[in-house]
Amino acid sequence: MALEPLHPSASAAQDAPKKKKIKVTKVVNGIDTEVEIEVDDVAAVAWPERSKLRVLNQPIPRVDGPVKVSGVARFTHDVRAPGMVWARLLVSPLPRAKVANLDVEAARKVKGVVHVLVVKDGESGYLGDPVAAVAAETLEAAEDGLRALAARFEPLPWVVDHDSAVKDGAPAVTRGGNVSKPELDGDADEAREAVLSSPTHVEATYSEPIQHHACLETHGVVVDYRGGSEATVYCSTQYAQGFAADAAKELGLPANAVTGIVEHMGGGFGSKFGLDLQGLVACRISKAIGRPVHLMLGRREEFLMAGNRSGGIQTLQIGCDAEGRITGIVADSYKHGGVGRGSLATFPYCYTAATHHRSVRSVRMHLDANRAMRAPGHPQASFAMESVLDELAYAGNLDLVEIRKRNVPHPAWGRQLDRAALEIGWADHPYKTRPGEPTGDECIGIGFGISTWGGGGSADCEVEVRLERDGSVSTSCGIQDLGTGTRTYMAAITAEVLGLEVRDVKAVLGDSRLGRGVASGGSVTTASLAPAVMDAATKARNALAKHLAGVLGLDAEGFRFLPEGVVHERAKTPTVMTWKKACGTLPAEGLRAQGEWVASLASRGAHCTQAARVAVDPGTGRVRVLHMVCVQEVGLPLNRMALKSQIQGAMITALGYALTEGRVLDPVLGLQLNANFEDYKMPHALEIPRMTTIIDDDDLSSGVIGVGEPPVIPGAGAIANAVHNACGARVRELPITPDKVLAALGKVV
Amino acid sequence: MHSFRLVHPTSLDEAVALAVDPAAGATKYLAGGQDLLTEMKEHLATPDRVVNLKSVPGLAEFDSSGGELRIGALTTLARIEHDATVRAHWTALAEAAESIASPQIRSCATVGGNLCQRPRCPYYRMEEARCLKKGGTECFAYGGHNKYNAILGGGPSYIVHPSDLAPALVALNAEIVLRSKSGERRMPLEQFYVLPADGDVTQETVLTTGEVVTELRLPAAEKGSRSTYVKFKERESFDFALAAVAASLTFDGSTVRSARICLGGVAPIPWRAARAEQLLVGRTLDSDLVRQAAAAALHGAEPLSQNAYKIPLTQTLVERALMALAR
Repeated sequence: MALEPLHPSASAAQDAPKKKKIKVTKVVNGIDTEVEIEVDDVAAVAWPERSKLRVLNQPIPRVDGPVKVSGVARFTHDVRAPGMVWARLLVSPLPRAKVANLDVEAARKVKGVVHVLVVKDGESGYLGDPVAAVAAETLEAAEDGLRALAARFEPLPWVVDHDSAVKDGAPAVTRGGNVSKPELDGDADEAREAVLSSPTHVEATYSEPIQHHACLETHGVVVDYRGGSEATVYCSTQYAQGFAADAAKELGLPANAVTGIVEHMGGGFGSKFGLDLQGLVACRISKAIGRPVHLMLGRREEFLMAGNRSGGIQTLQIGCDAEGRITGIVADSYKHGGVGRGSLATFPYCYTAATHHRSVRSVRMHLDANRAMRAPGHPQASFAMESVLDELAYAGNLDLVEIRKRNVPHPAWGRQLDRAALEIGWADHPYKTRPGEPTGDECIGIGFGISTWGGGGSADCEVEVRLERDGSVSTSCGIQDLGTGTRTYMAAITAEVLGLEVRDVKAVLGDSRLGRGVASGGSVTTASLAPAVMDAATKARNALAKHLAGVLGLDAEGFRFLPEGVVHERAKTPTVMTWKKACGTLPAEGLRAQGEWVASLASRGAHCTQAARVAVDPGTGRVRVLHMVCVQEVGLPLNRMALKSQIQGAMITALGYALTEGRVLDPVLGLQLNANFEDYKMPHALEIPRMTTIIDDDDLSSGVIGVGEPPVIPGAGAIANAVHNACGARVRELPITPDKVLAALGKVV
Repeated sequence: MHSFRLVHPTSLDEAVALAVDPAAGATKYLAGGQDLLTEMKEHLATPDRVVNLKSVPGLAEFDSSGGELRIGALTTLARIEHDATVRAHWTALAEAAESIASPQIRSCATVGGNLCQRPRCPYYRMEEARCLKKGGTECFAYGGHNKYNAILGGGPSYIVHPSDLAPALVALNAEIVLRSKSGERRMPLEQFYVLPADGDVTQETVLTTGEVVTELRLPAAEKGSRSTYVKFKERESFDFALAAVAASLTFDGSTVRSARICLGGVAPIPWRAARAEQLLVGRTLDSDLVRQAAAAALHGAEPLSQNAYKIPLTQTLVERALMALAR
């Protein structure tokens, strides 16, 4: 064995890899932030050429599909621990109230009730603010215990709508008042002058409702702590390791004594980071009684307290020259994020404008704070931007595709607009510069929208690939699979490198004891994890080659790992050694290789273009989306089936945002009137249009990019524009329900 | 959930006697359970005793052999939806049945339960809102969120009756059969429903305590009769009607001999459009007449702040239903 030098020699220092600075995405609670880091400037490992990929860049059925469809997959909701109690939360039914009575004794007396925890004594701060929790031997007893509390909420003045919140003397949500100081950008006078002096200019106000994440699995946790020095916490979370660390703190245990488990997850979409209130309550109860606690939110609490996509109002003024180039945009925006700040991307969204002025204010209300939701702030901006751009095009008698191509700052959008136009049938469509008439019972219209997102990675994943002596292979990381296919590509990348099939590799994740895993928000998971898997798998392959070289007396570089087995290029008599046989030569402990993020394996920046074809019935106001097209850059495609599935899910979310979804409140009673899956109308089977999902293979980025966010952004604007294009009904307030279409057509008197 | 006793009577006599037993406390009848169980979970219904009608033999009988159609109250919606005779002769009923909820719900939900279901108004459905329907003093929809509420027959409550079968059955001139301890009574289904101004505002029907819906009877479809049910939902999958029209016309050649039109989703009861019916009798349907009839059907409509759209919407549905029958 060679001795390690005690001090690095001068020559070793010269051999050290050069460093380079790169921009990567850092995500804090799902918000994408760009930072610069220094990495080694070497390409130790590289993706094979696309044309040579055998497993990757193909459609790969998800490895956990069978357990999910057969009900075997264990979600947090399904976890049962010995001696477990069921806990439920009492939340404030009013936006602001004095909690006047909590009969804790009465609740304790309910048969089966084990523990009562007062979370908030005094004043509730928002609709859905948790006030108390009851834990019991059964779920039913816990619910009876909550009722036995006989909580009385004395209403205090509240605001849950924009107009009331901005009034002088409105009940204050924060000490600083309800309307924040505007965030300003650009020269207001210059931008306004540019708009108003343009040959064509328009002004309009758009508004978006609060949209819910509507995760099928509600937020929640099972804390398995029975006193003592260790605990296991199961959680529906987008960050297993972060959750475990938070829970440890709350349980008063060292971080290494608490294991976080998230085997399967029923949707997060940005709303499931951190311990959260229900996690904190479950830890406290568990600590108090020394028994495991199951606390999942009910559907109503999920709607009221688990975050949302902020709503907003945007007044836009925009002008263009005779060729359709945007001369200026003036944007005056309000964000409705409840007690939170709300989020909104900037104007002009995606497009370029010669001048701009932006003013953005948060309007606080007594509602739960908005959270990150799939492309936070972007769909709101996109809906307003795409709508006003169409209004500008019609005013200037310009083609709806041409005006977009003239104002996009990146050529990817140009080619994507051409492709989307082709797929949606734009060439034969009669209404290119003016909308159709509202006649008959089916008016056909087309609309377009564009978007972009970073989706890059960061050095926050550590992966281990293990080869056992019997030939079995596993790839592990303490990351979580949100249902997006993380497990599948972990297995697929490893299989690609080792010459195996996807089924030959077991992907292990969702356990905080495994190697470091990034928080899954901002579309960073794939670009952070896949390079580390590639690195680990490559190192495992090289280590196996080195091992075989020693056993067989050949050089390590000559080994090839192929589906038919392990071969050596320069062996005198070419022989194929089966994978099992090759691994059989390993020592008893097998072989392990650790991988880390390799910057060159990830890319960032994915452009997206969508088109929608709708049928509007002017007699009823019904909008049916007939066809949606998405052209999406994805970098190096790992799994074409999972990518298409993820893109289609995003398009459906956008369809719901466009047509049916939105929180409905009674501002006087302070109630949310649609905090359930009957009245909060998400698209179901009959609403799903034909979807043409195109992976933009003209994107030759060398690395992988996460694309959870971009395809959710432009759909609502495209659909809104298609509705107008069909029949002249311009609906500037989402969702575009039949009553609004009929009103826009002047049919409601 | 409020604790209750579940009892399984083995005869109708036993079932109707149970509810008037003062010692038993409040009693509710359980059929398919699609509405009652939801109401119980939401604490809108808190019976001390639940009487399971499924244990009573003979309530799910279904017979179209004698020309008239007899439908036992416990017949499922799926049975109606898939019956070829119903579809051929009482088309509006089959179309109404298939428009309801989801296949899963239709396989459990019953005809009697559908006719007796409680309103879907969100204020009624939320325990916190002690509205007129729940014994309070105010209809919150009147000055609040009323996009889905009544434009006809409203006041003091502005609910719309949620049943899809009811307008279809009224258009088809169905009779409902009720049974209580004091015997059986039969009435046109139309008379089963009560406007909030005309009766107990917390009820939608004339059904009394201890009374059970046992059967629906539809007269034989006359020669030259055609019917249809046109329902408009905000979301096509799994939703209640924003407005619906059931129309049953009998033709002599191309002349309308008789007409029954009933609107759903716009009034606290299935709403007969008598003026529209009168306009049609003795005439041949054309687009002008149909337009006049549609306007007449909405005669007297008084929209609230958010539901004026239901007027043009319902007019369109009436026009389309009639034009469909004219063919």
